[in-house]
Order: sequence, then C-alpha cells, then structure tokens
Amino acid sequence: MLERSRALFRVDAAASQRTQGNTVYWILASTASGLLLMGWLLPWFVNAYSAGVGFSPQDALISSPTGVGTFLIYILAVTMVILVLSTIVEPVARRMGRRFGPRVDRVRLIAALLGLALTAIIWFLVKVLAEEPLFGSLQPGTYTDSAVWLTMYGYAVAALVYGARRWVVARQTLAFGVAILPFGIFLPLMFHQAPDFLLWAAGSLAIYMLLALGLNVVVGFAGLLDLGYAAFFAIGAYACASFASPTHNIHLPLWVLIFLGAAIASMFGAVLGAPTLRLRGDYLAIVTLGFGEIIPDLATNNVFNLTGGPNGISGIDQPHYGFLDFSASPRWFYWALLLVSVAVIVLLRNIERARVGRAWVALREDEVAAASTGINTTTTKLLAFAIGASVSGLAGAFYGSIVSIVSPDDFSFSVSIAVLSIIVLGGIGNIAGVILGSFILTFVIFWVLPNMNEWSTTLSQTVHVPALAGIDFSSYTYIIYGAALILMMLLRPGGLLPSRARAIELESGGETESLAAVQGVA
Amino acid sequence: MALLELNNVTKRFGGLLAVSSVSFALDRGEILSMIGPNGAGKTTAFNCVTGLFPITSGSITLDGESISGLPPHRITKLGIARTFQNIRLFNFMTAVDNVMVGAHWWMKERVWDGALRTGRARREEHSVEQRALQLLDLLGLSRYAGSYAREMPYGLQRRLEIARALATQPRLLLLDEPAAGLNTQEKRELMQLIARLREEGLSILLIEHDMRLVMEVSHRIVVLDHGEKIAEGSPADVRTNPRVIEAYLGTGASNEMQSA
Repeated sequence: MLERSRALFRVDAAASQRTQGNTVYWILASTASGLLLMGWLLPWFVNAYSAGVGFSPQDALISSPTGVGTFLIYILAVTMVILVLSTIVEPVARRMGRRFGPRVDRVRLIAALLGLALTAIIWFLVKVLAEEPLFGSLQPGTYTDSAVWLTMYGYAVAALVYGARRWVVARQTLAFGVAILPFGIFLPLMFHQAPDFLLWAAGSLAIYMLLALGLNVVVGFAGLLDLGYAAFFAIGAYACASFASPTHNIHLPLWVLIFLGAAIASMFGAVLGAPTLRLRGDYLAIVTLGFGEIIPDLATNNVFNLTGGPNGISGIDQPHYGFLDFSASPRWFYWALLLVSVAVIVLLRNIERARVGRAWVALREDEVAAASTGINTTTTKLLAFAIGASVSGLAGAFYGSIVSIVSPDDFSFSVSIAVLSIIVLGGIGNIAGVILGSFILTFVIFWVLPNMNEWSTTLSQTVHVPALAGIDFSSYTYIIYGAALILMMLLRPGGLLPSRARAIELESGGETESLAAVQGVA
Repeated sequence: MALLELNNVTKRFGGLLAVSSVSFALDRGEILSMIGPNGAGKTTAFNCVTGLFPITSGSITLDGESISGLPPHRITKLGIARTFQNIRLFNFMTAVDNVMVGAHWWMKERVWDGALRTGRARREEHSVEQRALQLLDLLGLSRYAGSYAREMPYGLQRRLEIARALATQPRLLLLDEPAAGLNTQEKRELMQLIARLREEGLSILLIEHDMRLVMEVSHRIVVLDHGEKIAEGSPADVRTNPRVIEAYLGTGASNEMQSA
C-alpha cells in the first residue's frame, strides 16, 4: 500500500516539475546560444573593421578567400546556426503543439561536440602552430582568445543540455550549477586583459544577488513584506567599517568581518522583527520602511560617535593575506564573493526544503492554521527576519571591504526598492528566479543604462533623426527602470521564473488574516 | 478524570456574549458532539479551547492542567488538534508537506541541521515524510500527495485537514463541521473514519449540523444556543429535549412535536 503511494507521489511530483524543468532547460539552451553568438560577434563588436581577428566567416573570407582553414570555419558556422536557430524554433514549435524528439537532440549534441572540437582545432592551429596562412591573415589577438573561450563554453553548455536533457530537467539546480559555475570561476582568466570593469560589475552583481537572496527569505518564503531591507545592509557595512579601519583602530580580517557583519545584522533583524510580530502586509511594510529610514539617519547623525556622520567611515582595510592581495586586483574579491554566493545559495536552498522553510511557507499561507498545527509563529517569524538580515549583513561587510568607504547615502530607500524589484522581477519565492533577476537588473544598471546615450547617437546617425542624439538617458534612468518593471508585471506577473505556488496563485489569489487579528489583539 | 474540562467558560467580544458560562467535560475515548443553531457559539468555543481566542473568564483544563491563556502552538503540543469549519489548509504547499507541518513540533531538526542537510536532518525528514504518506494513505489521499492543497477537490481538502491534525499526534481531535459540503458517500466514509479513530483511542469533540451523523457517532451531545449550554446528554435524551427542539425549530414547535 505504502509502496504504491510512494510511486504515485513520485509521478505527481515529476509532473509538477515538468513545467519548471522546461524553463530551466530552455534558459540553459539560450545561454549556450548567447555565448556562441557572443563568441562569434565579440571581435567584430570590439573592433568592427579589424579583418581577421575573429571567427566570423566573412573575416576569413575577406582575408583569405582560398585558405584551407576557411572550410573549418564554415563548418563551425553551420553548427552555430543549428544550435542558435533550434533554440529559437523549439519553443515556437512546442506552442504549436509539435514535440522535439530525441533525434533532434542527438543532431544538436553532435553539432555541439563538433563545434567544440573544431574550435579547439582552429585555436590550436592559429595560436600554437601559428598556421595563419590557412586562415589568411587571421591573427591570434587577445580578443580571439576571449572569443574562443566564449565559443567553447557555449558549445560545452549546449552539449550538456542536449546530451543530458533528462538529467537537466530532473536535477535542475545541480544542472544549472554545473553549467554556470565554471564560467564564473574562469571568468577572470578568460579575458587576458580582463577588464577590471567586468569584475567590479560582477562584484556588484554578487552583492545585489546576496541582498536579493536574503530579502527573498523574508518576503518570498515567509511572506513578510520588508521595505527597509537596506538597513541591514548598512549595519553589515558599518560593522565592517568599524572593525577594519583606523577609525577605532581595530583591524579584523575579512573572513571574520563577514561573519561578524552577518551576526550583528541578524541580531538587528530579530530586534526589528519583535515589534512587528503582530503586523502583516501593509502595516508591516510601513514599520519596516520606518526602520529602513532610521538606520541611515542614525549614521548621518554620527550616533555615539561610531559612524562618522555624513562623511561615513573611510580607509577601510583592504585584505592582504600573503599572495592574496585584494587591493592589487579585483579578481580576489571576485572569487571570494563567488565562493560566498555559492555557499549562501546552497544553504538557503537547503533551508527552503527543510523544516524551517516549510514552516515559513505554512506561515505565509495561513498563520492561524500554522499556529493551530503546532508552529511557533513568533520564533518562526523572527528566524525569517534574522536569517534574511544575516545574508544582508554579510553582503554589507563585503561591500565595505570592496569600496573601502561607507557613507549613509549608500543605503537609501532606493537600495531597498532595487532589491525588492530584483525579486519581484525574477520571481518571488524562487531562488533561481531571484538569481536570474539580479543578473538582469545588474546588466541593465551596468551596461544598458550607461550605453543608452551612445546607442541613441548611433541610431540617430543611422536613421538621420538628429533629435535622438540629444537625449540624455542618464536623467531618465528611473523612468526606464520603472517602465521596465510595469511592462514586466503586465506580461509576467509572477516574475521571469515564477515559483510554482505563485504561478497557481495568480490564477486565483487569496490573502488570509493574521493570527493576531483573529485573536483580537491587534 | 475527564480529558478536557470547560468550567464556566465565557467569551465576550465587546458587547456580544458569544459563549456564556459554558461547562462540560469530555472523557477519554469519548466522542462528544456540540450542536446548536448557527451563531450559537460552537466555533467560538472551539477557538477558546485551541487558544485562538483568549477566554474572558472561566477555565479550560486538559488532563487536569489549565490550558487557558496558552498560545495555540503550545496547546497543540499538549495534544489538542483541530480542523476548521472553513477549510484552512496551506494552499500552496503539497498535500504531503501540509501533513508534514503537523509533525513539526516534535521534529528535532534545527535550523543548521536543515541548512547543512546533516544525516540526522535527512533521516528525520525521510521518516516524517514516510509517516505523512502513511497518513495520506489512511485517508485515501495518496494520489494527491504531490499536488497543492489548492488543487484538490473540496471533499478531499476536508480529509487533508484531518490528516494534518492527526500528524500532530493528538489525544483530542476537534472537528469543526467535517461533513459540511460532503456528499452522502463522503459522509459515510467520514463516519467510518471517525469510528476508526475512536477505536485507536482518540477522543473527539465534534461540531456538526448533520444530525444523522451526530446521532450515530456521538456518545454524548452538548447543545448550545445563544452562547449558553441548554442541554447535555445521550443522543436519545437530546433528541427529545423540548428546549433543544425549541432552539432549532422555534417556540411552539416543541409542543407540536410532543403532541404529535
């Protein structure tokens, strides 16, 4: 009897995962295509008129119409076209009711492996054996190396996705990690003259991501709307600043600081949580909003002479352990943040599936029923606040170390809002969605918005509309940002990767009252 | 000694006297039904027993120990579980997770166990999941183990609530209109279930409007009207009690019934 129920349970769980599994699968497939395109276009992007520094067939053709190696490049082009096009065609075909069978996957797997091998061969010929004549005047420049990295990585991800599709759908998280993590680890090495800008941007991404992951515990799992989340970020950063700077003449190492920041922030999280235990929804949001305003204000007013007033605390130590000199290159911070982010993601993922995680969801779904089923609502809520705040404090400690100066302005309301929009954009309550959301938002902040002016100038020259060149997009940042959010909510209200609960809830929503309201205390 | 004892329990909401000085006792292994017209204060009495409402005066004891004033989760730990009149499941949790929440209070897994997925945590999770699946099986819900509570048919949601309540390992089960909205077949199954739970030694306090069910399963019946206890006794006694008939059918009705 029990065996039968087990079997049925598995079937049901698998069925429910199918939708999400497909999303993850599709994301990986498009990531592979994106990497291929980037590898292909990178040399062209960086220097559009330098014939022969890329893989593109036009370049090879222009530089050496008769080169034997050009043949290889054309095969490469075919594999790329197969992989990129099929990523676009597949969802369209599925919507029209057609299924892509395993045979198509096999073709794509072969294309991916062939592409991988060819890229390696071409790179070997050009770079190691310096057989340029085969490819005309193809020169092994720096950008070619970056392009090779990107292309090979794209093929590897494609091979994983198409070769082990079942596994990808069944073990989404692991598959995602296996596909993406090596890219993160190798990123600083991939680009010789690794633009420091890229690593700084990745650092900001990691900090935003940590903040979003922490807030997701409070808002997504436990369903407690927190609008003052930047306060814990500030607490972590100021903790770091106080314990690793000449201000108080204390110099603790970074790895102590991140735990210290997390611990102090989680204490404050519990302190804030205590008076809000009976509040829910809008009322809770207002109280947390107040807390979020108080903390930067206290810092501005130099409370107890600890915070340095409006100027903040500067001269925060740059960690230095033997050859690990964090001030020399951003890559050490990058790797440290990567390690911490992965650890946080794994821990939160485990917590989500453990007893506490279930208790949070129960609390979110029906506080009264949760209490009547034996859940201590007080400790469960405080735990959500404390754990959420601790991740934020950890991020704050890193932030302090990286920028080496903290001031009250860094922790304004707009930070709380940016973090909240990350989780709303990505998918409230879904860790994968939150990660995706932080990627997209950082991408917009660090690449799209700064480049808007340049793009519109180019566009104005192309279409001969001079007015376009005159627009200063930097003053419209928040308008663009807001419009993107509105559009997002209209098109995909559950976020890019909605949690399964949100997806169903949107079809028929419902809010429940708080335990305190039922008890008549509030 | 009685398992649950209510002594002059009064609950007042502002000017409204929802439960007025109600006393009754429930013995071990007994099925006691609480009946009465709508608004008689039955559910309020339930909420007082389970700690959702603080009582205005009086006392409630479980096994001789006072439980009035305790928060709901403490009362659950002491062995009182309940279901709700208007189903209150965790809608966006799977059925098996719903039931597992019932086991939370006695699970030993701490936050760090869960975060690090220690062997202890995994073993406990596994055994609790097995128990939850067994409970679902007992209530004929295995098929829905992986579905969200929200996605289940209404009648099965009622049963899932009972499964969740049973997962807290109660001594006393409070069922608030478990037959509401069920069809004849489902009601028959419910009766069988109640009988089976009693055989396993569970005491049950039942609120129900379906008189056939009440008369069949109850050992004793308490009748409330306007927050006051107007009758108490065996099903046969209560059925012929003129005050009960009056409360249900109005003044005059009892005379007609008796003369008829």
